[in-house]
Amino acid sequence: MIEIRLHGRGGQGAVTANEILAEAAYYEGKYAQAIPMYGTERRGAPVTAFLRLDEVRVRERDLVHNPDIVVVLDPAIAQRPSILEGLKAGGLVIANYPHPPERFPLGGNFRVTTVDATAIALETLKRPITNTAILGAFSKVTGLVKVESIEKAILHRFPGTLGEMNVKAVRMAFERTPAPIQAVGGVKEKDEEGPLSGSGYGLIRSAAGWRTFRPVWNYEKCTGCRICWIFCPDNAIGWGEERPTVDYRKCKGCGICVNECPTKAVEFKREEI
Amino acid sequence: MEHKNFEVMTGNKACAWGVKLSRVQVASIYPVTPQTTIGEYIAEFIAKGELNCELVNAEGELSTQAIVKAASRVGARTFVCTSGPGQLYMHHPMHGTSSGRLPVVMATVHRGNKGMQPDHTDLMSQLWTGWIQWYCENNQEVLDSVIMAYRTAEDKRVRLPIAIGYDGYILSYTSEPVEIPDQAMVDEFLPPYEPIPNILPDKWAEAQTRRGAGMMGDFMSGGADPQAAWRIHHEAILNSKGVIKEVNEEFGKRFGRKYGNGLVEEYRTDDAEAVIVAMGTIASTARVAIDRMRSEGKPVGLVKLKTFVPFPTEDFQELGKRTRAIGMIDRNVCLGLGGAGFGELRRALYDLEERPRILGFYAGLAGAEVRVRDIEKMAEKTLKAARGEKVEPIIEWAKLGGGE
Ligand code: SF4
Ligand code: SF4
Repeated sequence: MIEIRLHGRGGQGAVTANEILAEAAYYEGKYAQAIPMYGTERRGAPVTAFLRLDEVRVRERDLVHNPDIVVVLDPAIAQRPSILEGLKAGGLVIANYPHPPERFPLGGNFRVTTVDATAIALETLKRPITNTAILGAFSKVTGLVKVESIEKAILHRFPGTLGEMNVKAVRMAFERTPAPIQAVGGVKEKDEEGPLSGSGYGLIRSAAGWRTFRPVWNYEKCTGCRICWIFCPDNAIGWGEERPTVDYRKCKGCGICVNECPTKAVEFKREEI
Repeated sequence: MEHKNFEVMTGNKACAWGVKLSRVQVASIYPVTPQTTIGEYIAEFIAKGELNCELVNAEGELSTQAIVKAASRVGARTFVCTSGPGQLYMHHPMHGTSSGRLPVVMATVHRGNKGMQPDHTDLMSQLWTGWIQWYCENNQEVLDSVIMAYRTAEDKRVRLPIAIGYDGYILSYTSEPVEIPDQAMVDEFLPPYEPIPNILPDKWAEAQTRRGAGMMGDFMSGGADPQAAWRIHHEAILNSKGVIKEVNEEFGKRFGRKYGNGLVEEYRTDDAEAVIVAMGTIASTARVAIDRMRSEGKPVGLVKLKTFVPFPTEDFQELGKRTRAIGMIDRNVCLGLGGAGFGELRRALYDLEERPRILGFYAGLAGAEVRVRDIEKMAEKTLKAARGEKVEPIIEWAKLGGGE
């Protein structure tokens, strides 16, 4: 039995990726069990999903604790040591990360490969939904599931143009993913995202790592209408001296402020990792 | 793996497929996590023209149950489903459905009463409502059980509603390959529902209103016995065991799969000194635990308890004669009384001349994760008890998820 754990954020499609993999594996005659882990549903919040692949029916109904493979859909999560928890010695990490595996920040007794799935998703889908691209990488480096089976499962689930765009993402990632290397980075002691007090959710963690894009204000264009301040769902926008201020620890990069601003005073800029 | 008509699907989709294949005519559903997507899948089947069913939106579970009760009364095959708090809200009309001897089938996607995560307290809270109760361990069993439930519930010797419980999240949202039986084969197995227009004894209503009328004699012989409504209902459930077994056998013959004898399934209990009893998904994980222990030469076995109501008393009495200890794993607690399974098991075995020791374990409540090694520990303790060693406490809250 092969056990896999996927890490992503609400909205990136980790649960869907998991189900597509299960279906693709099943096309090839394997038994697959895809388990999603739901918390409070919130776009951007970390999400975990688990997959078991076997030749016979999987009877275990607990979660996966010692994965053979860890798949990470989000570049900020990919930097957090907690993704390695329980990973089998000599296991494999497949991460959405904008730099080659040699520059992967975590180290230890595991192999790692990286692909810039966010860039591929932006190119093919025009949105940072990285779930299908990462599956191309999975197919290439694990050989557990053929890329054709993944494509078939995607088209089954998303018929038409949407499916084809996703297939393009899969192929692109398949081509761009290098062979895994022995991880060389140094494991950091602790995860960086510390607790932060925020209204509405009680004690929450910093949402800074959730962003693919960062909203930036151009005060020349701002009329002080307060619309962005009213609409921000995470209370990240404050008010000072007749203009909006932003707390980037609370901002999850949802883009609502960008969308709502009547004078286009807020702009989205890609975050750098 | 053999390829028939399989699809990788969640437990909720498997349930909806069961509804579709059973050609349900009226369904009423109010959304509650983790049951909600069943209604979405059914709506999709209807929208695509694949299912000819009236899906009635209601403002709450009390109404959904009242709606299917009425629809069943006028002759429709009906389906309803719920979870946790919704199940509790439905309690009152559930009595009406079963007292009316209406063959409604309900899916209860377990969600405990102390949070969102699953345990069996939602359906166990309905033990007094006079419904047959089944518990499932995987998505295939969910689909198959829906079909078997209609065949059983509508059997003229039964005429009772059936609740099918399966663990929320663990099955409801987990995807795995499920074989979709052929519609023509299902149609053959499950003919259209034939309602009985007047199924209540004529004297029933009279009996219910005349306190003390029982002194006049049994209502069957002309007088009115106020207790008759309860007695007849109780006996009807007890008498359904034979039909449950029969339907399970026939399903097995036609579809190549069956679930033990329909009431319980024994797994590696031959020459077992100790046996554990588990329900729902814990029974699935327990199979792995039993295999591991057997490979180490430990004579332990598993009984999967599928039908909780009516309780398979005879099966356990028979088991009790050839086992020295039984460990009951309860994913429920009747507060102030204890685990429902533990209580029933002791009730069933008390009259045996030589009875096994019966241990109780609470596990998996409020969604607590039950791992293979957790079950191994429970089985180890039960085996110790079987071998005459002192074990304490007799009933314990299993400490789950400890180190290897
Ligand atoms: S992107 Fe804008 S609206 Fe969204 S959280 Fe950040 S500041 Fe608030
Ligand atoms: S919505 Fe735009 S114009 Fe209005 S306060 Fe915000 S940034 Fe300024």
